[in-house]
Amino acid sequence: MEFLQALYANPLLFYAVLAGLLASVCSGVIGSYVVVKRVVLISGSIAHSILGGIGLCVWLQRAHNISWALPLYGALITGILSALIIGWIHLYYREREDTVIAAVWSLGMASGVIFISQTPGFNVELTSFLIGNILWVSPQDLYLLVLLDAIVLTFVVLLHKRFLAICFDEEQAKLQGISVKFYYLLLLTLIAITIVMLIQVVGIILVMTLLTIPAAIGNMMTSRLSRMMMAAVILCALFTFTGTATSYYLDWPSGATIALLAGAFYLVSLLVINRSRRVSYQ
Amino acid sequence: MNSKPAVQFHDVSFGYDHLFTLEKINFTIQPGDFVGVIGPNGSGKTTILKLILGMLQPREGKVQVLGKLGYVPQRLHLDPKFPISVRELVLSGRLSQLPWYGRYSQADKDIAERAMETVKIADLKDQRFGTLSTGQAQRALLARALAGEPKLLILDEPTANIDPESSAEIHQILKGLAKHMTVIMVTHDLTTVIHDTKKVLCVQEGVTEFSPDEVCEHFAIGLYHAPLIQKEDS
Repeated sequence: MEFLQALYANPLLFYAVLAGLLASVCSGVIGSYVVVKRVVLISGSIAHSILGGIGLCVWLQRAHNISWALPLYGALITGILSALIIGWIHLYYREREDTVIAAVWSLGMASGVIFISQTPGFNVELTSFLIGNILWVSPQDLYLLVLLDAIVLTFVVLLHKRFLAICFDEEQAKLQGISVKFYYLLLLTLIAITIVMLIQVVGIILVMTLLTIPAAIGNMMTSRLSRMMMAAVILCALFTFTGTATSYYLDWPSGATIALLAGAFYLVSLLVINRSRRVSYQ
Repeated sequence: MNSKPAVQFHDVSFGYDHLFTLEKINFTIQPGDFVGVIGPNGSGKTTILKLILGMLQPREGKVQVLGKLGYVPQRLHLDPKFPISVRELVLSGRLSQLPWYGRYSQADKDIAERAMETVKIADLKDQRFGTLSTGQAQRALLARALAGEPKLLILDEPTANIDPESSAEIHQILKGLAKHMTVIMVTHDLTTVIHDTKKVLCVQEGVTEFSPDEVCEHFAIGLYHAPLIQKEDS
């Protein structure tokens, strides 16, 4: 109750909860593709490489007074670039895929750390991007989240059947004249956009939790990808809301609290579902 | 017969790097043929299927295929935990007809429904694909191929790892389908080849054509003994 009153009284907290809910929409939908297409590692690499773009923009802003170089733009550009590079390697040089994933992962992180080390002043923003600080969300960020939600959802509504086909059986999709390479790269790009949205909420290090855990729980509950997406959106929204509320009461970092809640819920669901399966086999 | 062949291989060679797995292959399959493709493991049966499907390109020679293709792969490479219902799976056979806005038409849904009825899985349409038995899953994949309304149906070991009862059921369905379309099936099941097909292609260091009667004569005392599968020039 106290949290709800604080929500009403404090616009920062209200923006934080709204940002969490907006990010949950894309997270549940795109996270479901990440889980069923088994591109969790690729998504992890995209997420970590984003620090390079963020670091560059923070450096441009602070060291060179280029005010329009917002870290979020840097995150978006680096995320999409990394997605396209990894996707291209996956499609054309599959035997080196894991090495490239690791290279993009560490190069992004390393360049981000170096740019930030060269930036004058105390870098609270680095911590905020790494472990998240949902309470820093501004009204402009909310508009951007709405726009990104709209872009991602429009693509999904129009292309879901095609994405479903390439996630389940690439060979068959190809035989039916679907450009598997194009849709694979597009899917990775949408994953990159979603990761950038989620970084606002939980930060780079914890982003994979929100992207994969709600979808993985959803996968245990349903027999259709569309229903798995709905379940994942609801769970993700639940985790971000209860996580923000818990962090408010306990004065914990919001991103870590959200990730902890999601992780604990996943472990409990695994135990419950495995137990119920064992009972039904007996 | 003046009709154009359904499949024709002209001096087709295929291989990886410097190694040829198939060399100067020639054969013809006529529309309406029910063809069994047999041969030892690693002889190139699946390669031939992939050349017909256009998934592989020959290094030399020419592959000609007439009409729309339907392909039934082995179930093994598909993720059993994937959340897809049987109905969604079968509808995905209409993917080439899907409009830009991504919604199947009523006609597409009706065609998918008929395909499920043909292979007798209409009652399973809301089930998750991964929960089906091997025989049911194979029939669902067959329904997906039929939903594309193919002229040429290609199957890669459709009855591998399936119990005899389900296997007989699938062969019965295929026999019915072979009355309306060309069917090419890779199989290790010689009994089916002998009883159901009209023509047999034996893949081993080349492709040799047999009639089902010849297979009976040649293979009754053992599988793929090199001297036994050489067709005598007579």
